[in-house]
Amino acid sequence: MSLSTSTSADGQIVTIEIKGKFDFNFVQDFRSAYSSIEGAIDVIVVDLRETEYMDSSALGMLLNMQKSMTGRVNKIKIANCKPQIKKILQISRFDKKFDID
Amino acid sequence: MKTHLKVLVVDDQEINRKLLHHMLNHDGFDVVLASDGLQAIELYKTEQPDLVLLDVVMPNLDGYETAPILKELAGEVYLPIIFITALEDQDSLSRCLDVGGDDFLSKPFDRVILQAKIKAHSRIRDLSQKTFEQKKELDFYRLKTEREHQIVEHIFDRALEGNYQVPHLLEYHLSPASMFNGDLMLVALGPTGNLYIMMGDFTGHGLAAAIGTLPVSRAFYSMVQKGLAVGDIAIEVNEILLKLLPDDMFCAASIIELHNNGKSLSVWAGGTPDMYLVNDRNGQLMTIHSQHMALGILDNQEFDSDLLNFSVHKHQRLIMFTDGVVEITDENEQMFGYERLTNLLTSPDYRELPLIIEELYDFSAGVEQDDDISILSLRCAEVNSSLEQVENSYSNLPHHFNLVLNANSIKTSDPVLEVIDMITHIKGAEEHRSTLFLILSEAYNNALEHGLLDLSSSIKDSEDGFVDYYLQRDYKLNELNSGSITIDVKYIPQETMLYLTITDSGKGFDVTRKTSDLDNYEKHGRGFLILNELAASVQYNDKGNQMKIGYQLNVSD
Repeated sequence: MSLSTSTSADGQIVTIEIKGKFDFNFVQDFRSAYSSIEGAIDVIVVDLRETEYMDSSALGMLLNMQKSMTGRVNKIKIANCKPQIKKILQISRFDKKFDID
Repeated sequence: MKTHLKVLVVDDQEINRKLLHHMLNHDGFDVVLASDGLQAIELYKTEQPDLVLLDVVMPNLDGYETAPILKELAGEVYLPIIFITALEDQDSLSRCLDVGGDDFLSKPFDRVILQAKIKAHSRIRDLSQKTFEQKKELDFYRLKTEREHQIVEHIFDRALEGNYQVPHLLEYHLSPASMFNGDLMLVALGPTGNLYIMMGDFTGHGLAAAIGTLPVSRAFYSMVQKGLAVGDIAIEVNEILLKLLPDDMFCAASIIELHNNGKSLSVWAGGTPDMYLVNDRNGQLMTIHSQHMALGILDNQEFDSDLLNFSVHKHQRLIMFTDGVVEITDENEQMFGYERLTNLLTSPDYRELPLIIEELYDFSAGVEQDDDISILSLRCAEVNSSLEQVENSYSNLPHHFNLVLNANSIKTSDPVLEVIDMITHIKGAEEHRSTLFLILSEAYNNALEHGLLDLSSSIKDSEDGFVDYYLQRDYKLNELNSGSITIDVKYIPQETMLYLTITDSGKGFDVTRKTSDLDNYEKHGRGFLILNELAASVQYNDKGNQMKIGYQLNVSD
């Protein structure tokens, strides 16, 4: 289980990658991953390619991020979801608020 | 070198035999005597002399006839034959040479000359003998190596045969310069249906170059299975090669990932020739330069795993190749080069790879290739994976297990994942792993947070509250010293249904109020909302401290 953040060379894309279980254990880490961003950027990518599990607190974290970053980011992308994770996001209607692929 | 050189003297005149015997013995040689050719041949077989002094004119079999037979018996090792001759005429001398003679000794015999000649020829014989031994040894090693190559070839075939077949998207051509390919092409499908391709070119070719392909292919396949980003795959392969390969050996490689929708392409390329994205509709060609150093050179700190991302569409093809393609030469040692290749690629007449390959070989016109040649063309379209369509079968055995967690085990463990591991051992449940995790984790955390810890969801409304909530959860969990949660799992094969019953020792809640609230919940009710969508049934008992969830295994999405 780990959470790591990286920023593209031009500073416009911040990628947050979560490995293993995306649950309440990351509440603080996840929040500081985006709250430390200064100014406005283009895209935040939440890369879930190595996320096996998520619970509803993860959904809460994503919504909180969206609320907090409104006006400072053009797009929040949830990327590389495994089929089952994608299904959970779709059932939660997250596809209306986030760019999911 | 033998201590005593053995000389066979063949002469029909006894006086000559005696004379030579005496002179040779005196100089420390062993001597065998024969009075005609027939006898000489018999003696040769038993005595195996190192040198022959052969008279020309003899009864039975003369010198001219004897010499070729002796030469043949000697086989591959040089057997010096010195003709004893009083003949002066050129014709006879040249006939001696024709039948295999190596030198002449004229009568009357001069001891010093005889000695010198024997020494000179025996030196040549020694050399020849050494060469013969070495050749025998070489033959042995050659056979041994061939056998070993066969074994290794078998292993390589096995190791690399896992390639995923996507004939509608991928065309390729691989042509190793020797039995083993130092070029590498791996194709695999990730867990979300993304297509991964790695094309690599080890320094050199043949077995030495190919040896690195074994660990690389294994690492590649296992990382694709995890669905890693191509940059991370590059890091891993780089590390393996760094540990494994000698300093002067490395692997130029491109690793690409085509999203299952065929619309985005990620590329990590190190030390490889340019790649091209060719648009078949307008012949436009976009060049992708490799941005990094080859794999197996830089250590982890210096290594750069940055990717290039491209938006692509189904009219585009990605062309990847190794330098063997552009460095192929014609009979004037002219290289094929990038320009010829890009001209072909953008021409509407050369859409298919085999046509380009044909041009390549026409160009080289039979000049032997001295590097491995690999080229592939990938259409950037939807990756139609048929992997998910595998028929599922479900366990026919009923399962039932039950865990009672007391305050202490609740505090010290995170039981959800462990219970999920147990459940997914039931045949047919594995593919529901993430969904079952979510369901059980909602039910368990509900029992813990509201039943035992008495936390109120309403504090989650603000962003800070959300964090606060989990801080409070932590705090209260630490203080917990009584209470229990029971997890009951039942699988009923007739219905292919899983029933999860989670009971807490808390005071419960007003069941009627909870359900009416559900519709209004935007955020903290979300868990229940999802639960209701994912599960076949969700029921509470009247007291409100037990949740029973039914989950249908044989429903596909």
